[in-house]
Amino acid sequence: MHLVVCAKQIPDPETPPSAFKIDTVANAVVPVPGISPVLSPFDAQAAEAALRIKEKVGESKVTVISLGKESAQAAIKQVLAMGADEGVLLNDDAFEGGDSYTTAHALAAAIKKLGDVDAVICGRQAADWDMGQVGLGIAEELGWPGAIVAKDVQAADGALLVQRVLLDGFETVRMPLPAVITVSNELGDPRYPKLQQIMQAAKKTVTTWTAADLGLDAASVGKAGSRLRLERLAQPEAGGAVQIIEGDTPEAQAQALAQALRDARII
Amino acid sequence: MLTARGSDQRSDIRPVQSRARLLGAWWGPALGLSALGLITSVEAERTATREIFFNVAQPWAVYVFTASLVGLLIYGFGRHATLWAIGQPTPNLRDEVSQRLRNAVRLGLAQEKIGRDRYAAVMHWCIFSSIVVLTFVTAQVAIDDDFSLHFLRGPYYLFFSFYGDLFGLVGLVGVGMALYRRYIDNLHRIHWDERLEDHLIIWGLGLILLTGFAVESLRITVDELVQHPDWARWSFVSFGVAHFLALFEFEEPQLLSAHVWMWWGHLVLAMGWLGLIVFTKLDHMFFAPINAFLLRTDSPGRLTKIENIEEREVFGVGQIQDFTWKQLFELDACVSCGRCTAVCPANIAGQPLSPMHLIQDLKLHLADVGPAIQHAGHEGHDVRAVSPLAMVGEVIKDETLWACRTCGACVQECPVLIEHVPTIVDMRRYLVMDEARVPATAQAALENLEQRGHPWRGATLTRTSWMEGLGEVPIFDGSQEYLYWVGCAGSLVERNLPVTQSVFRLLREAGASFGVLGQEETCSGDPARRLGNEYLYQILAGQLVETFKAKNVQRVITNCPHCFNTFKNEYPQFGGRFEVLHHTEFLAKSLQQGDLKPQYPIAEQVTYHDSCYLGRMNGVYEAPRQIIEFLPGAKVTEMQRSMSRGLCCGAGGGNMWLEEVGARRVNHVRAEEAMQTGAQSVISNCPFCIQMFEDGIPAVQPQEEGRMRVFDVAELLDRAVFGTDGAGRGSQSS
Repeated sequence: MHLVVCAKQIPDPETPPSAFKIDTVANAVVPVPGISPVLSPFDAQAAEAALRIKEKVGESKVTVISLGKESAQAAIKQVLAMGADEGVLLNDDAFEGGDSYTTAHALAAAIKKLGDVDAVICGRQAADWDMGQVGLGIAEELGWPGAIVAKDVQAADGALLVQRVLLDGFETVRMPLPAVITVSNELGDPRYPKLQQIMQAAKKTVTTWTAADLGLDAASVGKAGSRLRLERLAQPEAGGAVQIIEGDTPEAQAQALAQALRDARII
Repeated sequence: MLTARGSDQRSDIRPVQSRARLLGAWWGPALGLSALGLITSVEAERTATREIFFNVAQPWAVYVFTASLVGLLIYGFGRHATLWAIGQPTPNLRDEVSQRLRNAVRLGLAQEKIGRDRYAAVMHWCIFSSIVVLTFVTAQVAIDDDFSLHFLRGPYYLFFSFYGDLFGLVGLVGVGMALYRRYIDNLHRIHWDERLEDHLIIWGLGLILLTGFAVESLRITVDELVQHPDWARWSFVSFGVAHFLALFEFEEPQLLSAHVWMWWGHLVLAMGWLGLIVFTKLDHMFFAPINAFLLRTDSPGRLTKIENIEEREVFGVGQIQDFTWKQLFELDACVSCGRCTAVCPANIAGQPLSPMHLIQDLKLHLADVGPAIQHAGHEGHDVRAVSPLAMVGEVIKDETLWACRTCGACVQECPVLIEHVPTIVDMRRYLVMDEARVPATAQAALENLEQRGHPWRGATLTRTSWMEGLGEVPIFDGSQEYLYWVGCAGSLVERNLPVTQSVFRLLREAGASFGVLGQEETCSGDPARRLGNEYLYQILAGQLVETFKAKNVQRVITNCPHCFNTFKNEYPQFGGRFEVLHHTEFLAKSLQQGDLKPQYPIAEQVTYHDSCYLGRMNGVYEAPRQIIEFLPGAKVTEMQRSMSRGLCCGAGGGNMWLEEVGARRVNHVRAEEAMQTGAQSVISNCPFCIQMFEDGIPAVQPQEEGRMRVFDVAELLDRAVFGTDGAGRGSQSS
């Protein structure tokens, strides 16, 4: 089975709030000096899901694809260290400034170019913009079935059994192959790579494809192909206030607290 | 709950010259008595002697026994040696030979560590000295006879009789103390791994001494008592017994027959007992001094560096043959005394680690699979395929390895100089680097170190947050004398910010020339190394050494004892040699020089908690205590476990980032101990200790009113120098 994992390198979601800055003129996030970008945590879980399938099904291959700048090599290497076999970086100035649609478009083109892919696994959303569109976008582009927000993915006779997280439980769907799945954090912690694997991954070469390599028209990708227009980027103002709950007895205090929480529509 | 005995708190921190006093206390009285005997015996009869092999018809049997014993010892130790030989080369053994020889004498022969339990010290000295002297006595008899030297005559014979009896008696006192401890006092730790050999050894020794006296007494009753009572008097114990026997007026043949039986009984017991050396913990009489010679000569705070890590196939120790032969050797030195386990914080809290059982389990595993591994190696087969059990995981459980705080209490106590901590960390290295089997919380910390250069997942502060409100904070540019190293905990964990700010204000007040790195600080790598990720540690340490060199750092003051330890003891492994001070060392000096003037009272009952990496690992016990003495009005009550016996807060060895498994949490135990002193505040010197106390105190003192508080020494000194209302501590730049 040939599995493709889509991985995105994002600004560190653990950037301390006080250091997180927005350039309101350019409508862009200002990179924080000294804080390196990281692999989107949901994508690490996508890799974990793919590797679990690979372990169960013999003769499998996992390819990791990332669309990004040269620095995204680090995210690819991380997935390679976890146990993926090959890495592809889609790096082209033409890809800059794109939206979910152009990203899905480019990734789908790369998957087509790979050829023999049985399944694509993505994180449920990238932890920077939290759009959650690319996974299904790829499915749409490729004309494959898609299932989102999975907590478990198992291979079963030429299909994938996918447990999808619902608000009130989960459902299991049987996905004929090829298919696109997005996984959620309910899948569990991604594995910690063995040092031997880290060293092997460091030696692997990552293939780089440009828009031309994928046969994509520059107008269909990046800012040019983008259908989303960013109006304004703003930083939410964080603030806090303290309300002391009064009451003569602990019971009365608890009651007052419960009432206050209810009034605030928290419970 | 297991609690340690022997609370003679400061006895273990002896100045150097008192080692001589220690030795004097052991041998002085015995030598004095002997000398007295020697002087008086010179005045005595010059013809005094006795017949060797008196009343014994087949003396040659002694030589048969001796030959078999020697053969057995050679065979037994040879077998041990083949097992040690499956281990890896032991580095640095040829360095510091004079230090090693000193260790062999001081820790091996003079048994300095045994003194940490005074009862055991007296007991062991009695038994040890009696065996040494009586072996010497027996050897003289043999030499006298074999070489027809006949020096056992005249005054020397009388003196010989005297000290023979004296040390026989000393031995019996020792055996008596041992029997009391094992069967009446029931000391817990010696029963944790009790075996048949423990009973055999002590009863056997007692019987040997008793039969020895019986043989001598019977001979004297028959012979000397009648002919030379003035000679017989020198064998003062047997002389008394002989007098007692004489009361019964036995016939001479009866006495002679009893003598023969006793003689043979004594011989068989003695030879049999010596034979036990090969099969039991008695082998420590050779292994302990040798292990003292093999003991590391550098700091206990330093873990071994894996050289050429990128070229290795196995990074940690996953199988028994991955240990160095020294690590295998020391398994055999263990006598199961339980001292390590009695002081282990994990064990005290009922968590799944007992250093003694860990060593014993490894020893057993070595005996189990060692011969097959040795054979496979010899035949050129794959040695890694031999063991049916996974050493890491099955013989030693993962949870056991993670429970270790690397606090070094076990190493500190071990009378036979076993180094448990490096052995445990070697196995952790296997878990982390070879198997990638890491508890989720520790994995998060390690990943955070890799990605963000600090172990604090979810930190919301930045490395410069602590600077707010302090005025101008000098950035280190190579022109200042000291680099003030704040550390990840000191800048990213909210509770520790006031400590950093206090140290900063005090350094400024003391007029120190210093700067900080601010945003450029990264983790020293210590958590990675303690958690077993040596590769990550080497990357972090290597980078930081380069940064320090590039910035021309010569002297460093650290907030955190863990950074302190790794800078001081481990960075030289990467070519980084800097003068490193913990803030308490610097502040104590400033106070002594009068650069800081505490004037506001801290009228509090306090207790002081030694962090392991400042105290036990680096011997800084006094500086923080000196600072506390400078605090006007503060009264210190020491905890029962303090200084080198101090108990870990629970966070060491990466346990800051591990979930605790077991009956209790170590920090609850320690908070309770601090509480028992009646202190209003517990004072420490380490950001981890402080966090552990912050969590632990409310658990053992649920009532908020009057609850004990925890401070860094610097916080209290800050209050004493600047006052509680912060007068004069604002943002002026001195």
